This record gives sequence, C-alpha cells and structure tokens, in this order.
Amino acid sequence: MTLAPARQPEKVSVSEHTEKRSNADTAFQAVVGGCSLLVLIVLGGLVVLMGVGGQDAFKTFGLGFAFRDVWNPVSNEYGAWAPLFGTIISTLIGVLIATPLAFGTAFWLTAIAPPKISAIVGTAVQLLAAVPSIIFGMWGFFTIVPFMARHVQPFMMHHFRHVPGINMLIHGAPFGTGLMTAGLVLAMMIAPFMTAVMRDVFSAMPGMLRESAYGLGATRWDVMWKVVVPWSRSGMIGAIVLGMGRALGETMAVTFVIGNVTAVGWSLFAPRSTVASLIALQFPESPAGSLRLSSLLALGFILMLLSFASLSLARMLRGDSK
Amino acid sequence: MNETKPQVALAVRNLNFYYGQNHALHDISIDFPARKVTAMIGPSGCGKSTLLRIFNRMYDLYPGQRATGEVIFDGRNILETGLDLNILRARIGMVFQKPTPFPMSIYDNIAFGVRLHERLNKADMDVRVQDVLTRVALWNEVRDRLNAPAAGLSGGQQQRLCIARSIATRPEVLLLDEPTSALDPISTARIEELLDELKEEFTIAIVTHNMQQAARCADQVAFFYMGRLIEVDAADRIFTNPKQQQTQDYITGRFG
Repeated sequence: MTLAPARQPEKVSVSEHTEKRSNADTAFQAVVGGCSLLVLIVLGGLVVLMGVGGQDAFKTFGLGFAFRDVWNPVSNEYGAWAPLFGTIISTLIGVLIATPLAFGTAFWLTAIAPPKISAIVGTAVQLLAAVPSIIFGMWGFFTIVPFMARHVQPFMMHHFRHVPGINMLIHGAPFGTGLMTAGLVLAMMIAPFMTAVMRDVFSAMPGMLRESAYGLGATRWDVMWKVVVPWSRSGMIGAIVLGMGRALGETMAVTFVIGNVTAVGWSLFAPRSTVASLIALQFPESPAGSLRLSSLLALGFILMLLSFASLSLARMLRGDSK
Repeated sequence: MNETKPQVALAVRNLNFYYGQNHALHDISIDFPARKVTAMIGPSGCGKSTLLRIFNRMYDLYPGQRATGEVIFDGRNILETGLDLNILRARIGMVFQKPTPFPMSIYDNIAFGVRLHERLNKADMDVRVQDVLTRVALWNEVRDRLNAPAAGLSGGQQQRLCIARSIATRPEVLLLDEPTSALDPISTARIEELLDELKEEFTIAIVTHNMQQAARCADQVAFFYMGRLIEVDAADRIFTNPKQQQTQDYITGRFG
C-alpha cells in the first residue's frame, strides 16, 4: 500500500479544490440553517412578547379573562369574551359562506368551464385575492353596510321577528354594521384566496381518475361528490383553514363594518367588535404600562392561540383522511 | 346469422376526428366483431387511443374536440347529439393505462358504477360485487378486506378491480387503453388470461403498444399510422402475412 511520491503534488491540488468546495457547502448549510432558526426565534419572540405583556391582565382578572364579558376603560375592567365572540362568529360566518362559493368556483374552473374562459376567470380570481383588505373594508362600508341597513335587516325583521330562535339573531336597530356584515365582507375576501388554492388541488387530481368516473356513466354531480371531494379532502381542508386563518386575524376590513361596540349578544345585526379590530382601535390610546394595554396584549395572545388551535384542528382532520 | 359472418358490435364508417384544428383521424371505417378481441396497434400518436375515446364519447368532456361520420352501436349512431351519454357509458365500459381506483373501499369501487344505474338492495349488491370480483380472479384475494381502501391493493390487483368495476354495470363493449402498460409481467399475464374469459361475454377493443400482447390476445388486429387505418385483418394473418408494406415494417420493428 505504498503511494508513488511523484503523484503527490497533483493530489494535493485536487483535495484543495474539494476542500474549498466543502467549505462553501458548510457556509451554505449554516446560512439556510440560520434562516430556519430565525423562524423559531420570531415565533417564540411573539409568544413571549404577548404573554409577558398580557401578564398584568391575566394576573388581575385570572385565566377567566378570556370569558369575562366586560370591556370598560372607565372602570378599568377588561375581559376578552366580547371581542373573542365577535372574532369567532364573524370568522365562522365568513368561512361558511366562502367555502361553498370557493368550492363551486374552483370545480367549475377545473372541470366544466371552457379553457379560455377558465383562464380569464382564474386570473380574475387571483387578482381579487390580491386586493388589499382595506379596499374590501371601504367597499363593505359604502356598499354592504347601507344594503344591510336598508334592505336585509328590515326584511328579516319583517318576516322573522316573531319566529323564536331566529328573532334573537336579528333584533336590534338597523345600523347595517355587525357580525353578519363583517362575515359577508370576510367571505368576499377569503373566497378568492380559497378558490385559488382549491383550484390547484383539483387540477392536481389525475385526469384519468376523473375520466374513469365519467366512463362508468357518472354525472358531473356524482363525479364531484363521490370522487373529486374524497380525493381532494385534505387539500380542501388546507384551503379552508388558510382562509379561516386570514379571517381570524383580519383587522382593517372588519373594523370598517363591525360597528366597534364591545357587547355580547346573539344578534348578528347589532354592532360588535373583534379581537383584531379592538386592538387596532384602542392600542393608540392605551398608555404604556396601563392595565388596558396589558389587556390588549393578552387579547393578542389569545388570538395567537386561536390561530394555532385552528391549525392543529386542520392537522387532525387531515391525518384522519390518510 | 351465418357462422362465417360474425355479428358486429361496433360499426365505424367514415369517421373523422378533430382536436380543434388538428385533424387526428382520417376517414376510418372498421367493424368490431361481437364477443371478439380487436387489438389496435401503431406508433404513439397514430390515433388508436383517440378512436377508443370516441366509442364512449369521452371526448365530449373536452371542448374543441369533435367527430364526424358514424359509429353504429345497437342500431344507432352514437355520435348523434341528444344521446344519453350516461347510459352509453354504462353499456361501453373503459379501462385506462394506469389503475384508477376511486378513493373509497374495494366494495364501494364496484358498487359506485352499479348504483349510478340500478337500485339494488344490499343482498343483490353483495352478489354483484362477489360475482364480478370472482370473474376477474380477485375475490379470493380481497374477500376478507372488502371494506379496506382500494388504494392498498397492488397495481395488478387495482387494475383487475378497475376491470371488475367496468363489467359490474353489465356493458356490452369493453374498451381497454393499454391496460397493462403500468404493470409487471406477471400481472400482465393475468390480465391477458382474463381477456380470454371476458370475450365470451363482451366485445373487447384493446389499444396496445405491445405486439406480442396483440398476437396473444386478439382475434382481429388493426394497424394505425398517422391517423389512418392502414390495415385490419385476423390476428394470425396480419402478423404472418400483412398486405401493406407499412404494416410489415411496423410489426418487424423497422419503425415505431
């Protein structure tokens, strides 16, 4: 196993080159590793900031802070329930309206529409998804709010005022603002986004699978419900959760149309508030170190937990389908 | 009916097909004898799969694709507008290049097609499922896990399941588009054996790239080239004594 000395110099130059390359590789690994580490640092930082900032509120009102339904800056009494309830209900309304809308549009775009029209409408959907939320807020304020005040709520009051169960959902003066309006605006905002995601999910389905179902004599309805939906279940859940995440944290658009009253009640047509809108409105007027500011940070902490909860719910639902 | 003149299941006359501006099939006329296997061979893009997809009007799913001419099935031109495609597709089944099990149980994969066209009670459905699975020689392999997802079967099993699914709606014609191209040799052999049994009941049209497969399974072979039907004849004649030079060149491997 002796090596000819004459070969040595050449070998060294080769290994030098290799060493340089491997140094570059190590540096590259460090950089990308650092980027990923940054994700963890930022996430941890946010949780700590919200948690520590909200400490005062949690100490003063206990963990029951989340379920206290007062928010009174005058008596310095705070609780998260009113805005939390507003956030949850307006998000649910938004998701309930947006999901069938997005599903139908995405299915039509991928399975029924002629390719040219599908391309045009598909681009329009993407443009709509890119519209900044404040635009939706102003549109909601000038269009949806008056429409709800003048037509929808009077109509509901007229026909359902005496129907038990429904009447408590619609009572109140017709301001036009409230959870229903916020839900509608949220639906319009998240539907294009959900449509774009669902369209990608549907077009990822092998054409042969769809043709197999048609080949047995299935109608479009059969193919949609019995083949496309089960096949794309986890992708659709992903789309719904992404939309839900956007709705949960949406601030500007909701602030325009929710009415911003920290009250709790079942009426979908009375002015309410959401976590994000309340924080945005009251943050500038809360002095540093005040219980009010701490309560707002605690609200932020709860909102983050809510987002994490919806994400893990999606994980669970997806896990079931596999 | 005269014994030397077999009954015809599908009669194609002067058929032309267009993908938008692209003229893909030129003036095709060919008969598919009932309860025989007709194999369609030819290089990629020659139009053989296109022809298959005309028989169940699969091309209807795609705008811009159209056919002219006649395809007579059970006394009626199936290219006519106003034909009930769902019924046509129940009577003319199709199996694809790759197994396409639906995202549901083995049992429901079979029952899916049946439920579209018939209202069977549970007992009758059970009988139907067992019957078709037995005929594709899958029953003994899956009888204990009918409620398990079909995706858990092997590729060859999945393809036999797809064949079972197609015959469960009791079609008269089976269209097979390169049904073994994604399968290993053993699974392929089992499918070929299966074709021999199925042709006692169904008219089979099979597209294949594999000349040996055509020779082994088919009664009649049609050779397509660049959208034209070059030659159609009994399998033994076309492989031993083709009339056209192009056919000769293709089956001896000189091109394609």
